Amino acid sequence: MANKEKELTFEENLEKLEEIVKKLENGNVPLDDAIENFNEAMKLAKTCDEKLKNAEEKVNKILNEDGKLEEFNIEE
Amino acid sequence: MEDKYITVSQLNRYLKFKFDQDPNLSHIFLKGEISNYKAHSRGHLYFTIKDETSRINAVMFYNQASKLNFTPEDGMKVMVTGRISIYEVTGGYQIYVEEMQQDGIGNLYIEYEKLKKKLEAEGLFDQAKKKPIPRFPETIGIITAPTGAAIKDILSTIKRRWPITKTILFPSLVQGASAAPDIVSQIKKASEYNLDLLIVGRGGGSIEDLWCFNDENVARALYECPIPVISAVGHEIDFTIADFVADLRAPTPTGAAEMAVPNQKDFYNYLNQVNLRLQKSIHQKIFDNLEKVKNLKNSYILKNPISIYEIKEQKFDTIYEKFQLVISSLLIKKKEDFNTKIEKIITSIKQNLEKNQNRYLLLINKLEVLNPLLTIKRGYTITRMNQNVITSIKDIKIKDKITVELTDGKIDATVNEINKN
Repeated sequence: MANKEKELTFEENLEKLEEIVKKLENGNVPLDDAIENFNEAMKLAKTCDEKLKNAEEKVNKILNEDGKLEEFNIEE
Repeated sequence: MEDKYITVSQLNRYLKFKFDQDPNLSHIFLKGEISNYKAHSRGHLYFTIKDETSRINAVMFYNQASKLNFTPEDGMKVMVTGRISIYEVTGGYQIYVEEMQQDGIGNLYIEYEKLKKKLEAEGLFDQAKKKPIPRFPETIGIITAPTGAAIKDILSTIKRRWPITKTILFPSLVQGASAAPDIVSQIKKASEYNLDLLIVGRGGGSIEDLWCFNDENVARALYECPIPVISAVGHEIDFTIADFVADLRAPTPTGAAEMAVPNQKDFYNYLNQVNLRLQKSIHQKIFDNLEKVKNLKNSYILKNPISIYEIKEQKFDTIYEKFQLVISSLLIKKKEDFNTKIEKIITSIKQNLEKNQNRYLLLINKLEVLNPLLTIKRGYTITRMNQNVITSIKDIKIKDKITVELTDGKIDATVNEINKN
């Protein structure tokens, strides 16, 4: 319970961002909240951007005959 | 004698009549190989159907030929249905083809159509049952051959478009008799992994090569798979049963990968747009607030601060006047009250006085009635002796000295005689 908030998935991140943008575009947010929302949205956008750019660790895997996952590379 | 001879036309017409009457010839199923194929410019097809030792002429008119889903060619093995009749002009008999299928595949097609109808009736193709394809799948399972173009295309497309997606390949046979059960078993294995999406398919091939994707068990395994499935069977014209069951159908493995993941270029554009919208909305918000401040600044009061004082002055005057008015009216009222009270007191005193006066007068009148002088006036006198009023003869005796009072004087006298009444 006391653990850190679970890291949002890419999609959750983006959905939150979209939600904030819609809310701000609606215009009914008080200025202070709007600025706070804006800052949060900028952070979310940055996270999305970073997640996409830091894709180095991604691996393709294959399920081998023993039922184990192995790295799978295909020459291009 | 001449009557015994008939014309060629009569003979051919008679033979045609005989042919046309024969129920065995009016609807026959025939298989063989096409040769001498010729497509007439008006759409009719003329060819020969032959086997190793025999041949028969065939004609397929435009009406039927236009329904063919393949282009016939010499050497092609076909199965046709039609009727046998005679072309009177040449006297040659031929088959008038009504339907034609490629041999071998034809049976498969019948099976395919039967299975398609059955599964459709069971609801395996229902649009309402289709699972949505996630926008940003984190892990995608792929069921296809581990070698060959299909897996290569899929992985390189995913890498190019959306490099953060992880993939797990579930290698499978994709042609031959063992392909279908292999695919089924891999679909079941894939269901045990935490996958957001599954791509099932293979590259293009002949219709027989693709046939495992028309297998009933494959169809049912796909239908029961809890993960959203994109089918990716390399063919362009016809749909496989797998295509109908899958949540989404792609025409090629590359197409499946394109449907599975977004394009990062598009996404960056989108993110930029979101960013712009964000900036615009916050600027609008700030602008609106600035505008409000500006409007307030421009308001009469803030532009003419002295007017606040003026207005206060004026207000004070008004209040002061009101105050005065109230006070004076209060005073007037008090005064009036006072006067009224005074008047009342005076009136009451007057009334009291009058009342008392009346009483006094009354008393005086009464007193006057009692006044002995008044009696005297009428001729009565008061007789006294030693200041005591004599009211009876018993109070006096002869020779007593008495005083008789009248209105205008006294008489001193001596009693000479006393007579009783």
